[in-house]
Amino acid sequence: MIARRGLLGAALAAPAIAHAQANEVIIGTWGGDYGALLASEVDAPLVRPLGLTPVQDLGSPSARKTKLIAERSARRGSQDVVCLGDADCYAMAELGLVEELTPDKVPNIAHVLPALRSPFVLPHIYSVRVMLTNPAVISPAPVSYADMWDERFRNRIGFSDLLYQSISEAAALAGGGNESDFAPGQARLRGLKALGARVYSANENLAAALKSGEVAATIMWLARGYAWRRAGIAVQATFPAEGATPYVSAAVVPKNARNKQAAYAYLNAMLDPRAALGFGERMGYLPTTTLATLPAPLLAEIGVPAEQLAKLRRPDFGYTARNAAEILAFWEREFKA
Amino acid sequence: MAALILPAGLLVLLLLVAPMVMLFRISLNEYSPTQLMIEALQPGNYLRALADPYYQGVMGTTMTVALSCTAICLIIGFPAAWWLARMDSKQKSLAVILTVFPLLVGNVVRSAGWMALLGRDGAINAALRGLGIISEPLQLLYTQGAVIVGIVAVVAPYMILTLSAVIEGIPRNLEEAAANLGAGPLTAFRRVVLPLAVPGVVAGSVLVFILCMNAYATPVLLGGPQFKMMAPAVYDQFVRGTNWPFGAALAFLLLMVTLVLTVLGSAVVGRRYKAQ
Repeated sequence: MIARRGLLGAALAAPAIAHAQANEVIIGTWGGDYGALLASEVDAPLVRPLGLTPVQDLGSPSARKTKLIAERSARRGSQDVVCLGDADCYAMAELGLVEELTPDKVPNIAHVLPALRSPFVLPHIYSVRVMLTNPAVISPAPVSYADMWDERFRNRIGFSDLLYQSISEAAALAGGGNESDFAPGQARLRGLKALGARVYSANENLAAALKSGEVAATIMWLARGYAWRRAGIAVQATFPAEGATPYVSAAVVPKNARNKQAAYAYLNAMLDPRAALGFGERMGYLPTTTLATLPAPLLAEIGVPAEQLAKLRRPDFGYTARNAAEILAFWEREFKA
Repeated sequence: MAALILPAGLLVLLLLVAPMVMLFRISLNEYSPTQLMIEALQPGNYLRALADPYYQGVMGTTMTVALSCTAICLIIGFPAAWWLARMDSKQKSLAVILTVFPLLVGNVVRSAGWMALLGRDGAINAALRGLGIISEPLQLLYTQGAVIVGIVAVVAPYMILTLSAVIEGIPRNLEEAAANLGAGPLTAFRRVVLPLAVPGVVAGSVLVFILCMNAYATPVLLGGPQFKMMAPAVYDQFVRGTNWPFGAALAFLLLMVTLVLTVLGSAVVGRRYKAQ
C-alpha cells in the first residue's frame, strides 16, 4: 500500500531528481588510464565547478558504437559525450548520428591545430605513427617505412594485430600508394611476410616480444613507445620520411544526447590546457590545441617537431570505411595466414 | 503441470528466441560500409560464406578441434567418471569439488596460466632448456595443440560429471553378476557398463561438443592471431569488419552445423545402443 505521506514525499522530491538529471552528463569512455585521467584532470577541476555531474559509462569502443547505432531512432540516447578513436568518430558522423561542432558551441575548438580539425569531431589528444626499433639490434635506424623491406629486418619485425589498418596504410605509403589507395601495399605486405614478419594478438604481446628480443622493429604510436620505454623496453622512435600519420583520441555528441549543453561544456573542458599535462605524462599523448604547452623534457619524448607537424599526413577515413572488409580480408587471409 | 514450464519458457523466448530472430533478420540484409546495412531479403551472405574456401577452412578447423576435444574428453573422462561414481560418499563430495575446480577460474585467467606454461620463455621451455634437452625454445603456444589442450581443460569436468551421474545409476551388482558369470573386468565393462552408460556418453559428448564448437577465449589466446575458429571469426566480422549481416550469417551457419552434427551423432549412437 502506498502511504499518503510517502507519496507526498516522492512528489516533493521529483523536481530535485529532475534537477540532478539536468546536471548530469553521461560520458561513454574507456576505463583504465584514460577514464581515470578524465575523472582527475577534466571532471574534478573543470567540469564539476560548472555545476555539472559527470558520470562515466565505461566500456569498449565497439559497445559505444553499437549503442549509438542501436539508439539512432530513439528520441533520447543514453550517452551525452562518446569518446572514440578518430576513425570510429568519422564513421559515426558519416551515419549522421552526431552533432556538428562549432566554436559557438565549443569555444576552445577555435584553437585546435589545423591538421586535426574535423567538423563533427572533437580531437582530444593525439599521437603519431612512428617506427620503433631496438637500437642494440637495428642500427642505423630506418629512415622511411620503405627502409624496413630489407634483409637486415629478416625475422626482426613484429606487428600488433589490433593495428592491421594502420600497418596496411604504412605498407601502402612504402609501396607508392597513399591514404586513399592501399592497393600498392598488398605486394609490400607479402614482401614483409616473406621477411618473416610476425603478428601478435595484442600490444602487450608485442611489448613482451620486443622485450625478450624476439622482434626488434615495429610500426606503432609514439605514445606507446614512450610507455614502453618507461617500462624498460629498449626502443627508439623514428618519424618516417613519408610523413607521420596522427591517431586522435576524440569525442562526439550524439544527435539524441539528453543534455547537449552540458555535453558541449564537457568537450570545451576536455580541450582546456590545464587538463593536458596529465594525459601527456601518464599516456604520452599530446594536446590538440595551440593553447596547451607541455614541459620541454616531456615534449622531447612524446612531441612532434615542427617540421614533422608541417608534413603530418591525413588519413582518409572514408576510404578505409568503404574498404574495411577488403583490408581486413587481405590481412587475415594472406598476410597472417 | 505444463504451466510449470511457463516462466522458464517465457524467459527463453524473450532472451534467446527474440535475439535469434533479430540476428536471422540481420543475416538477410545487405552490407553497406557507409550505412552499416541495407534492408533486404537475400541469401547472399550465406552463399558467400559457404562458397568461400577461407571460411570452409575455418569451419573445418573448428570441427576438427571440437571433435578432437570431445574424443579426448570421452577417453580421459570415462575412467575418471567411473571412479567417481563408485566412490564412497564421504570422499565423493571432495572429488566432485576437485573435478569442478577448473570451472572456478575464468577462461581468460586460465588461458593466461597456459600462456605462462607454454610460451617461448614459459615454464616448459625453461625446464627443457635447463635440462639441456633443447637449445632453441619449442613452439608450444599458438598451435592447434595448445588450443585443444586448453579447451579440454575447460570442458572435461562437464563430461566427467555427466558420465558419472549416469554410471551411478547402473547398479553395482550388475558388474558383480557379470563377474559371477565369468566375465573379466574388461568384458564386464564392454558388455555391461558401457552399453548402459550410452545415454551419458551421448549427453556428455553433445554438451562438450557444443561448448567446443563455440569456444572463443581459448582459441584467441592460445591459438594466436594466425589460428582461426568460427566464434572469433564471427566476432571479427561484427567488430573489426563492421559487417553485421555477414557476421550474422556466419553465426547461423555455425549454429546449423553444430545442430546437425549433434543430432546426427546422437541418432547414430542412439540407434546402435537400441540395436544392442
